[in-house]
Amino acid sequence: MSPRREKLTSPQTRIALARGNRPAQHLLPIPGPVDTEAARRLFRTQRRTAVRTVAALAVLLFGMSGAFAALPVLGEIRLFGVPLSWLLLTVAVHPMLFLMALWHVRSAERVEERAEAERPAGERPAGERER
Amino acid sequence: MISVLAIGSVLVTSLVIGVYGVRAARSTSDFLVASQRVSPSWNAMAIAGEYLSAASVLGLAGLVLKNGLGTMWYAVGFAAGYVAVVALVAGPMRRSGAFTVPDFAEYRLGAPRLRQLCGCVVLVIMLLYLVPQFKGAGVVLSLVSGTPYWVGVLLAGLVVSGSIAAGGMRSATYVQAFHYVIKLTFLAIPAIYLVVYSSPDTRAQALHPEWGTHFPEPTPVEFTVGARFSLDEPVTVTTPSGAEVGLTAGDHSVTAGTEYVFPEGAPIPYPAGLPELGGQLWSTPLLDVGGYPLFETWSALLAITLGCMGLPHVIMRFHTSPTARTARRVAVGVIGLLGLFYLFPTVYGLLGRVLTPQLVLLQGTDTVAVVLPAEAVPGTAGAVLTALVAAGAFGAFLSTSSGLLLALAGGLSHDLFQGSVPRLRLAVAIGACVAVLLALPARTIDINVLVVWAFTVAASTFCPLLVLGIWWRRLTLAGAASGLTVGVVTATGAVGWSILLPTPPGWIAVLLAQPAAWTIPLAFTTMIVVSWFTRAPDWAEHAVLRLHSP
Repeated sequence: MSPRREKLTSPQTRIALARGNRPAQHLLPIPGPVDTEAARRLFRTQRRTAVRTVAALAVLLFGMSGAFAALPVLGEIRLFGVPLSWLLLTVAVHPMLFLMALWHVRSAERVEERAEAERPAGERPAGERER
Repeated sequence: MISVLAIGSVLVTSLVIGVYGVRAARSTSDFLVASQRVSPSWNAMAIAGEYLSAASVLGLAGLVLKNGLGTMWYAVGFAAGYVAVVALVAGPMRRSGAFTVPDFAEYRLGAPRLRQLCGCVVLVIMLLYLVPQFKGAGVVLSLVSGTPYWVGVLLAGLVVSGSIAAGGMRSATYVQAFHYVIKLTFLAIPAIYLVVYSSPDTRAQALHPEWGTHFPEPTPVEFTVGARFSLDEPVTVTTPSGAEVGLTAGDHSVTAGTEYVFPEGAPIPYPAGLPELGGQLWSTPLLDVGGYPLFETWSALLAITLGCMGLPHVIMRFHTSPTARTARRVAVGVIGLLGLFYLFPTVYGLLGRVLTPQLVLLQGTDTVAVVLPAEAVPGTAGAVLTALVAAGAFGAFLSTSSGLLLALAGGLSHDLFQGSVPRLRLAVAIGACVAVLLALPARTIDINVLVVWAFTVAASTFCPLLVLGIWWRRLTLAGAASGLTVGVVTATGAVGWSILLPTPPGWIAVLLAQPAAWTIPLAFTTMIVVSWFTRAPDWAEHAVLRLHSP
């Protein structure tokens, strides 16, 4: 489906608005979700996914630097003439970071698709799409 | 001369694309909606183009030369920051509809007054980030054209504020994308050329730092600043008048203006406080300045990885994606593009240790990427390669600093003083002036030290605000405000102290120079504890849930 047109203001308009003559809490009230329980479930699942990715990232970064400190032998083994620790730090780590981010996006999108599929079709006001 | 031409053509091309891009954008009804139709790959290139600053293009190679391989952890952190962004903030930030962190604070906590505090923090971060960019521009310009350092800095300030005033530098995604391509190719082509055409002997020396570092040819070293250095064995140097001076093994100090010619094959003296070039410390891939390598590495990693999500000009970019889902995918693309780019700075650092080791003595390692090609490849080819790197560095400086300056000016006029549009122009001028004035005395401070400082402040302030604001419904206004205050004071103060004032040796020096390991947990704890004692409003849960509803 084609993305809905969104109403956004330019920075200039926002500055003009910020000058005054508007209620203090202009972004509120926030409309509540149609099904609060489902939204809570989705939130918790997404939080689990995020925690998992951040944990994996921490293991990769701290683990790799820890390995360099604990195993000096990594600097002595050479691959194509280059010390292994140098290769890991300057080359190999980047594809790993990329795959990690890709893995997170896949998981997060799958969670969102499942939430969409579970939601009964009629319950969804059109204006709520993609904010 | 070729370098000046190359820099000029990068400048002109960006202006042309910028003007053309602005005209195309104005033809549609709404500029921002137009920019949301930019394809994800262009968008990712634009983000990477803005993100890769002078710290990445010039600073990393210089740090590898000076402090060793461990400094490539900075590059890993810069890329890993985007993994944290993908996991924690990209999607929800896009859904919140907030353009900046102050906007988000107002959305999530409903208090316009928090906006001013956030505005102050934006100011601190952006200034800390802007100063090293101007420094990089000044150093590169004075290298390629021979003008004094301050002329380069001043000119850089004028060019950037002028291009913002002309409009469009920031607005056009294509300019930023163009700068990514410039930076990648102009750094990659000389690097590949240097690797392929340097002698097998040079390559082997670059990969075997344990063979020691020696001057490759008789090298004149002119100390423009006073320096202290150590020698492992005695060396006989000559002064310009032809007199021979015998330097014994041990410590020496020279005054500014001294000039020595080191003979071929002489061991490289290393400045006091730095690891021996090519020694054990240098080639172990950990950050080690104060003697606690693992702690320093982890603290720097925390600062950079978590700081990335708090950078105001990074956050703003998610709004060029049409949906939260695309925003996440774009961020993944950015990681790929950054990884590709970060393959190259190491090449300059490793070859620089073999071919231009005197830069360490001269405290000019930030210039290694520009100096090296001309040293390694004599004649026209070397001049062309130098021109490429200089132009790439200038592109880095231009795209990052115009984005930064605009975020700074926006913070000044919009969040702090509730200004109008003419005031935005004034704020650009004020921001540029302050940054130039701060950059003038910063010549000998490493680009990356300042950039990591900015990341540390961002990680200790906006990172907890965003992470808790997005993932924890009980965050309250009082908690956010006190956490931000604690974070900005401790992070700014600690690093500032370690740079500007003498520090006691040992643990304290390390804790002050790399404070992220304690300032980030401190800011998180303050926010959580104060929030526990205050009550979040009823709508807080809806505000959180809404950020996660597809």
